[in-house]
Amino acid sequence: MDGVLPYIECFALLASLYLLLGRGSRATRALGILGGLGSLAWIYVAAGESIIGGEGVGREVLFMIFGVIAVSAAVRMITHSRPVYSAIYFVFVVLSSAGLFLLLEAEFMAFALVIVYAGAVLITYMFVLMLAQQASSPDNITEAPEYDRVAREPAAAVTVGFIFLTAVFGAIYQGVDRLPPPAGEIEKNIARAEVLESLTKQLRSSIEEVEPSFQWPPEADGNQNIVFADDEGIYVIGKTDAGDHQTVRLGTSAGPRNTQFVGWDLVGRFPASLELAGVILLLAMFGAVILARRQIEHGEDDLRAAVGMTRLFDYEEDDSSDEEGSSA
Amino acid sequence: MMLAVAFGQLALVHYLLLSGVLFTVGLVGFLCRRNLIVMFLCTELMFQAAGIAFVAAGRYYFDFSGQVFVIFILTVAAAEAALALALVVLLYRRRPSLNAEDWRDLRE
Repeated sequence: MDGVLPYIECFALLASLYLLLGRGSRATRALGILGGLGSLAWIYVAAGESIIGGEGVGREVLFMIFGVIAVSAAVRMITHSRPVYSAIYFVFVVLSSAGLFLLLEAEFMAFALVIVYAGAVLITYMFVLMLAQQASSPDNITEAPEYDRVAREPAAAVTVGFIFLTAVFGAIYQGVDRLPPPAGEIEKNIARAEVLESLTKQLRSSIEEVEPSFQWPPEADGNQNIVFADDEGIYVIGKTDAGDHQTVRLGTSAGPRNTQFVGWDLVGRFPASLELAGVILLLAMFGAVILARRQIEHGEDDLRAAVGMTRLFDYEEDDSSDEEGSSA
Repeated sequence: MMLAVAFGQLALVHYLLLSGVLFTVGLVGFLCRRNLIVMFLCTELMFQAAGIAFVAAGRYYFDFSGQVFVIFILTVAAAEAALALALVVLLYRRRPSLNAEDWRDLRE
């Protein structure tokens, strides 16, 4: 990989992001959009040139579609002046990354993402946005407030983003050649066989499909069925009714599905993390309830006012009285 | 497994680059937006980007702990959304503004 290329790519991408952040004229925005799409295409092509491999044209087209939707919706999300539209654009990002997860054969994660993110988390955001939505001034309720329209320090933010992105791109371009090779068919089948051995019901039904005379359950004298794998499939050794040893070859499709793998890993390999996640959710629920509850005692506000402290729930107070309150 | 054509390095590097770009957009948004809620939305965007990288790398090695980790990311994101929005509601009650710069006196 050419040493300078990642930096130029990142610069092009973030320069167009800067043009979009600047709230300039229509022409600069169009330039920003064109530049952004162009630099995305450039990154795509440059990445394809560096390494040869991969098949499946349909997949690449879908990847491009989802990727462009994700990135452009993300850019629109951080440039739109109305927070509600930002949240809607974030839904686009979530949906297209769910599409990417489908391309990666992670069906369970794709649907979990749609349900949890697009369904639950974004609705929470929408509630709070609707609750706290503001107009720029009482006279002009159609325009967003000034802090939503004007970006804070766009040049500094884009510079930080540039430094970060060049670090990431440099690491990816340099490191991807040195990665260990991907899992081949034999590793995949071994992983499938390992999990399938524990899924007794599925193992039994898939054996019965292939070889009905196979003896099941395994014999009582501790003679277990043995499951093993090579690069063509999964094999089970057991006994027939006549008592002979018999090997049954199961196709790879007899192996566990994506969701079964994820469930097996989740419960079998990371049980403590799973419980920890439960604790985190419980504590977050407690925290949200406690934080959002009105916490003042009856009459506490009057007491605070009497000793010269800020009133907790006085919406009309201006900044000067606030200063006095905190200094007192 | 119908879609199981070769998933070589070509695809992995593309997914990683896409995830890097999304993360950077989220980072820039977090730094330059001034609305508290949009800032939190940008952190969610960064979570998304990390999730894509996890799932792609997990698919590359046929190791499903990548997806398991995305489940934990979802958990943390949900918890973070609940707590952060509760905090925003609390702040909004004190002073009806979502502008992050209105709350710079919190650092004292």
